[in-house]
Amino acid sequence: MTSNKKKNLIFLILFLVLTVFCWCPIGYGSYGKVGLIMGMPSWAFYMLVIGAVLFVIEWVYLFYTDLALYDEDLEEIMMALEKTTTTQVTIKEEN
Amino acid sequence: MVAVTIITGLCLISVYISYVAFRKGFTKTADDYFVAGSSLGYFVLIFSLLASFLSAFSMFGMSSFGYRLGFGSLYVLTANLVPLGFLWYFMHKKTFLLGRARKWMTMGAPFGERYGTPMRIVLVLVVLVASIPYVVAQIQGIGVMLEAMSEGIISFHMGLFFVPFFIALYLMMGGMKGAAWVNAIQGVFFSIMVFVLFFFVMMKNGGFVPTMEMVMAKHPNLFQIGWAGGKVWSYPMIFGMAAAMCLGCVCFPQPFMHAYSSRSARGLKAMFLSFGGICLVVITLPTLVGIAGNVIVPGLKGVAADKIYGLVAAATMPDWLAAFAVAGGFTAAMSTVNGLVFGNAANLSVDIIKTLRPETRSSELITIARVFVALIMALCVFIAWNPNTPVAELSIIAFGTVAVTFFALWGAYYWKRATATGAILSTLVGVALNVTFFLVGGKAWVLFPQRALLNMNGFLAAFIISGIVFFVGSYLTTPGKTEEKSLSLFFHPVLTK
Repeated sequence: MTSNKKKNLIFLILFLVLTVFCWCPIGYGSYGKVGLIMGMPSWAFYMLVIGAVLFVIEWVYLFYTDLALYDEDLEEIMMALEKTTTTQVTIKEEN
Repeated sequence: MVAVTIITGLCLISVYISYVAFRKGFTKTADDYFVAGSSLGYFVLIFSLLASFLSAFSMFGMSSFGYRLGFGSLYVLTANLVPLGFLWYFMHKKTFLLGRARKWMTMGAPFGERYGTPMRIVLVLVVLVASIPYVVAQIQGIGVMLEAMSEGIISFHMGLFFVPFFIALYLMMGGMKGAAWVNAIQGVFFSIMVFVLFFFVMMKNGGFVPTMEMVMAKHPNLFQIGWAGGKVWSYPMIFGMAAAMCLGCVCFPQPFMHAYSSRSARGLKAMFLSFGGICLVVITLPTLVGIAGNVIVPGLKGVAADKIYGLVAAATMPDWLAAFAVAGGFTAAMSTVNGLVFGNAANLSVDIIKTLRPETRSSELITIARVFVALIMALCVFIAWNPNTPVAELSIIAFGTVAVTFFALWGAYYWKRATATGAILSTLVGVALNVTFFLVGGKAWVLFPQRALLNMNGFLAAFIISGIVFFVGSYLTTPGKTEEKSLSLFFHPVLTK
């Protein structure tokens, strides 16, 4: 497995685990009476913190790793895609 | 009357901004009108996307939800939307790249190129059907608040015409660029006003913690999950609503239209990332305002609770500032109607009219889109005439319905074996199930977990079945010529990054 694939996998696992926590209080909330943290039920407070942590990890993934798309890559990608499109059109016209 | 004057002023400013876009010639070609010539910078993109989703639901609906159902409401539209930062990126990176290469203008385009024309048309109709309850929710919210703030001078029914008239006007004039400018300004405005309202409401009873302690003393259940014998905010209910809202966001027209309009990859990423982060703060505040409303304006029930946002503003702020706070909620509703109606009008004119009649000229397409804007708006006003479902519930139903297109979109970009039959069947089965659940059991079946559905709500059951149908349908059928031909473009090696 290449280094980038490993990094991608780690981020993917982090994203999925934190998404489950953002979508359900499983593991940090329970039915019935609850204590307050800063005026909020503890599970609501933890949920907001988990949301903030996920936000930071997404920020790192999108802007501080070489895994995401950058403007420098755009020109090369567009040229390759346009070449494919032109080839498709030419084949269609020849047929 | 102060409130009505301010709201009218905001409507006129919006129309003027759109008029400027029109005068500057940003609506001459179809590419300009529908996707702003792919020229939007990231400040406009961030706030335009934000405003096109944040709505009467996020302001009036979420405060109403908080008021009635307490802290569990935070799972409906706050932290549960943060995953959109990566979900949108993974799902719409190819929308951005292929859209730029292929000059796509609507959300039906990727489905059309990957699965063929039938899927393109099915998708457009499904998104339209799903969008209508959401637009109705906005218009209904506008009518309710306008009646409350004008103290009955403008009736609910008159309010239904008042703001939609201005929205239709500025959408028809300014196209995507005008709409994005208006959205961005409205987005900044309502974000600021939410903070101001939160501050005043909490200071009324000595700060946030003392206010919440007062609410807890009177309504301890609002601080719990699994109350009312485990029925309200059970784990399945929370998961069903949180997932519906987040996955629905992936599939509405707004991220497609904004991805096409983005000038740069950096702008695209900033837009997708910022959305969840801003929601985490900006929607949490009206929800908390609604919860605090229980000790300021007690005793509201059902649709009447949709007025809590305006009522707490009136009870805690000077008249003119309360009017500005409510106007913030109005602008949120306006920008969402704007984004959805525009997206659907673009889909109908390009994906259906242009597909069925390829010789349609660019200028004719723009005219047709303008007519669709007026028609969709009129239909939604008609449906909103007799409100019997609160804004929040209407919105969740809409998001749940559109989310069933998720698998077809994922398959288009990431699964070579996906077939048109699988995509069409999964979309139709998902929508049919949502509609059936609604007709059989009303909103309770769509929103709340049911024993008959293995303790899932109707949305989650429809979503999972739709996914199964997609995979089984694709495996049992063979990819046709369109699917085979599309692979070289949709799975081009340069798209792997």
